[in-house]
Amino acid sequence: MTTPSRTNIAALPRGHRFPAATFRMSQEGVGRYLDAVQDRSAAYGEAAPPLAVAALALRALLERLELPAGSLHAAQEVECRAAGPLDAELTMRGEVAQRSERGGFVASVIEFEVVPADSLGEPVLVGRTTVMAPRPAEG
Amino acid sequence: MDPAPAVEPVIKQITQESINRYAEATGDYNPIHVDEAYARSTPFGGTIAHGMLVLAAISEMMACAFGQDWLASGRLKVRFKGPARPGDTVTAQATPRAARAGGQGGVLEYAVECRNQRGETLISGTAEVRVPSGESAGRE
Repeated sequence: MTTPSRTNIAALPRGHRFPAATFRMSQEGVGRYLDAVQDRSAAYGEAAPPLAVAALALRALLERLELPAGSLHAAQEVECRAAGPLDAELTMRGEVAQRSERGGFVASVIEFEVVPADSLGEPVLVGRTTVMAPRPAEG
Repeated sequence: MDPAPAVEPVIKQITQESINRYAEATGDYNPIHVDEAYARSTPFGGTIAHGMLVLAAISEMMACAFGQDWLASGRLKVRFKGPARPGDTVTAQATPRAARAGGQGGVLEYAVECRNQRGETLISGTAEVRVPSGESAGRE
């Protein structure tokens, strides 16, 4: 299974795999992220903050995914395996690991990993994102 | 191992400007965050911050305490419990839990949360970081 452009997340079945998406972890992009979250710590040096890696990876996913109005981010897990590299191409791979319905909402758990694009080796970061989205109308 | 050391809280002001900047930085333009007219029509009654924007305060707190150890081995597992709104003051804090041996060093565990100025919990969960033997918070 592959994802056509802008698929409603709530319509995706468990086991759906997203096409790998490559994005650049640029100094400029990380700077915009740090400015937005008002993070002026000196802890990062030549590395990217883990949540910047996660957020830009999810951005790559959002470009192919529709989050309908009323969608909510319910939970997040992030596990760093290595410091996020700057000025590097990274590839995000993900799938719908769980899907359940309750009331008028669909809970989708997306498991993802971010790996260096040039090696597709060990992940820099892995994560699980839980999104609650209104159940799509049938028919 | 010694118990997990204390970690300094981080305090952030949430503004619509910071929410808009986060939307631009991450491409998440969900109208609940950036469209005031739409957001007023929802049960929230107004715009709310992205959960990941608020969560960033927890990651910053851990990065300040553990530096490269956090960047290379940090783990976060949280649930978003309530919305942060423009004008809110958010405090991220960590409560030390267990410290256990792991690999060639140890793993420090914390209960982490973000609360607003009314004491309402916005985010709660756990954070872990792997540290070399003998390393404590505040050292890199």
